[in-house]
Amino acid sequence: VTRSRAALLLAFAAIWTVAIWLLWRSSVPALHLPHLDERALFPPHILHRAESYSRGVRFFWLAQTVTQLAVLGLFARYGVRWSRESAAGPIGTGMLLAMIGFALVWAAELPFSVLSVWWRHRYGLSGSYVQATIGNWFALGVQFVLLCVALAIVMRLARTRGIGNRWWLPAAPVFVGIRTLLAFVAPWLLGGSALHARYVAQLERLEHVHVPVRVLSGFSEPNAFSTGLGASRRVFLWKPILERPFTPRLDRFVLAHELGHLAHNHIWKSIGWYALFAFPLAFLIALATRSRGGMGVAEAVPLAIFVYVVLQLAFLPLENVVSRHFEAEADWSALRATHDPTAGQQLFRLFASETLEDPNPPWWDYVFLENHPTLMQRIEMTRYYAATRAP
Amino acid sequence: MHEQHPIGLVVEDDYRRSRLTVFFRLLLAIPHLVWFFLWTIGVLVVSIVNWLISIFTGKPPVSIHNFMCAYVRYQAHLGSYISLVGNPYPGFTGEAGEYPIDVQVPEEPVAQRRWTILIRIVLGIPALFISAALAGSTGGSFSTSAGGSNRRTSGFSGGGALLAVCAVLGWFASLARGRMPKGLRDAGAYAIGYTAQTTAYLLLVTDRYPNADPTEMLVAVTDRPPRHPVRVVGDSYDLRRSRLTVFFRILLALPHLIWLTLWGIAVLFAAIAQWFATLFTGTPARGLHRFISTYIRYRLHVAAFVLLVANPFPGFTGEAGVYPLDLEVDGPQPQNRWKTGFRIVLAIPALLVNAALGGALIAAAVLTWFYALVKGSAPWGLRNLSAYALRYDAQTNAYGFLVTDVYPHASPLEGEDPAAA
Repeated sequence: VTRSRAALLLAFAAIWTVAIWLLWRSSVPALHLPHLDERALFPPHILHRAESYSRGVRFFWLAQTVTQLAVLGLFARYGVRWSRESAAGPIGTGMLLAMIGFALVWAAELPFSVLSVWWRHRYGLSGSYVQATIGNWFALGVQFVLLCVALAIVMRLARTRGIGNRWWLPAAPVFVGIRTLLAFVAPWLLGGSALHARYVAQLERLEHVHVPVRVLSGFSEPNAFSTGLGASRRVFLWKPILERPFTPRLDRFVLAHELGHLAHNHIWKSIGWYALFAFPLAFLIALATRSRGGMGVAEAVPLAIFVYVVLQLAFLPLENVVSRHFEAEADWSALRATHDPTAGQQLFRLFASETLEDPNPPWWDYVFLENHPTLMQRIEMTRYYAATRAP
Repeated sequence: MHEQHPIGLVVEDDYRRSRLTVFFRLLLAIPHLVWFFLWTIGVLVVSIVNWLISIFTGKPPVSIHNFMCAYVRYQAHLGSYISLVGNPYPGFTGEAGEYPIDVQVPEEPVAQRRWTILIRIVLGIPALFISAALAGSTGGSFSTSAGGSNRRTSGFSGGGALLAVCAVLGWFASLARGRMPKGLRDAGAYAIGYTAQTTAYLLLVTDRYPNADPTEMLVAVTDRPPRHPVRVVGDSYDLRRSRLTVFFRILLALPHLIWLTLWGIAVLFAAIAQWFATLFTGTPARGLHRFISTYIRYRLHVAAFVLLVANPFPGFTGEAGVYPLDLEVDGPQPQNRWKTGFRIVLAIPALLVNAALGGALIAAAVLTWFYALVKGSAPWGLRNLSAYALRYDAQTNAYGFLVTDVYPHASPLEGEDPAAA
């Protein structure tokens, strides 16, 4: 039994490794990026503002994370007592406990959310106190619904005879399926108005991607993203990125970047990465909750959500590595499509002044918080491209 | 058992109505409305004097107390007459014992806590909300015209109220049958009783807060409605509420609300199938009956949770016997084919009453939310008012979805227990 189990494990590890290799493959060549000094690229007052602002943002993230872990840690220890507020049976009670746990986290984090808005206002950035409080309240509602769906699946499987503590094996593919479904459906729910610009068709031809490009209003920050699978693929631009100081030339670069994501199947690849990590994540939760009777009983839920959040934090650096890898490929794709490194450089320099993004953050910020290459890395890439394409 | 409220409702009505006076009821009431308007202005002026004196002396002067008591009684008489809760034409003086729907008030003014006198109008706001939902504008409203635009100013009034709905439906029923239906009469009497208690509280007749419990309000009504096949059971003293789950109640209920909506869609199709089955066989199909009954029970559980009528998080299956506020539903019984055929039309009056009770239910839930956050428990009266509203909602659903052909009874009183009968 041990030998066959070891063989099975080995086979899984091999598949896993091959899958990682396949997903990691990139069109970006081995780059030898030139080292640049940010002081030569950004005016001192902008650097100072961006660094000072980012310090606050880092503090709020740290405070929120510590609060979240502390609240959920205490909840894992004492949260079971709230099961007396339920008449719903094990699964329903598990749902209630999970929702209460996240409600407590929401309440504990509320001061930091409000302070974050104050901090943004202090630096002339937009932010809404209503959004930070009532808006978060609605987001919490959505979170509750998703949490209940996840728990209904996990607890149902864990209570099924013949599955029990091996619930993670069927649960992981179910979650991958749900994630795929959401990725497919979500773009249709976002709406937006069509972008009419001459460069759209030209870029779509160059990147071999023909998708609707939509503009979303109601945002105060310059941003863009691409999403969807198959017929639902879309690029969304937040309205501020189409307004001054951003010019059509810079927008063209932004759009090329987003089309690059779609051209290189980053949404599918991100689902692939999710699938790779869903199994070990679910397995670790199953392992951790065995001492509380397994995920079939409501008493295990407070511990499960604590373990889930801790694991999420532990996996965050890996997630950011993958995300930065995708973003670098999309940047490279944009450079190849537009042949306009100057636009890329201008765009990234503007991000420092418009969104106060720190061009060169400290290492731990880079590891935990940066899901894009730093502004310096992105500018270095444009320089590298310009140098290699120079006559 | 609670101590009896000093403002008690007396109901000695025999349900008989004169068709002629019913038909012209509003017109006949015009002299009373004019008189009531004038009296209300007088009361407003006197109440300020009364308030100032009472703050210093701790209780109202006897003469003013009597004046206010007469006003409270007169308001109840007039409200009863207009809304067909009572039949005879009322007197103009608010005399005690002269009208079948009457209000008992303290004969002598009683000492009251001064601080409650001082902030009485603020303390009265929650009661005014409930009173508005129950009795609407019969509690003393008048219109003023200011600056060329009509602005409605309401003394103790509110929106689509239970009493108004009962009056409109009662008007048709009384014209047709010469009798006021018991359910509508009782519901109307309850609304009038609560308004009387609110008015008495605001006018310093008593410092006891109005009690929204319908059973206690109608303690004088001896005849109970017949036993209904759909009944709500639960402990009316189950008042403990968890502050944490109260605060997040609506969010916590979101999964239930989604599930309820999905289940409701299935029930809609089941009800259509049941309609054909009942129309052809005369008896609802057992499987569909069970499916729909379970849905109605689940709906009650979810509503009780969301609206703070009960404390625990309900299950998702509508299982019987597990929730503190539960629904008993009798098995499928033969149903009248005429009633089945025209069920949607026949359900309209019940839906109107249900909508009116829904207003009271929402008002009670909002007030209970604040109360429960502070005290960790639900107010007894509001809990029982909400349970009454939920019972009526369940009976209306059961009627609409062909679980039974027995019409929902609007009386706040529970149906008669056959064993006791």
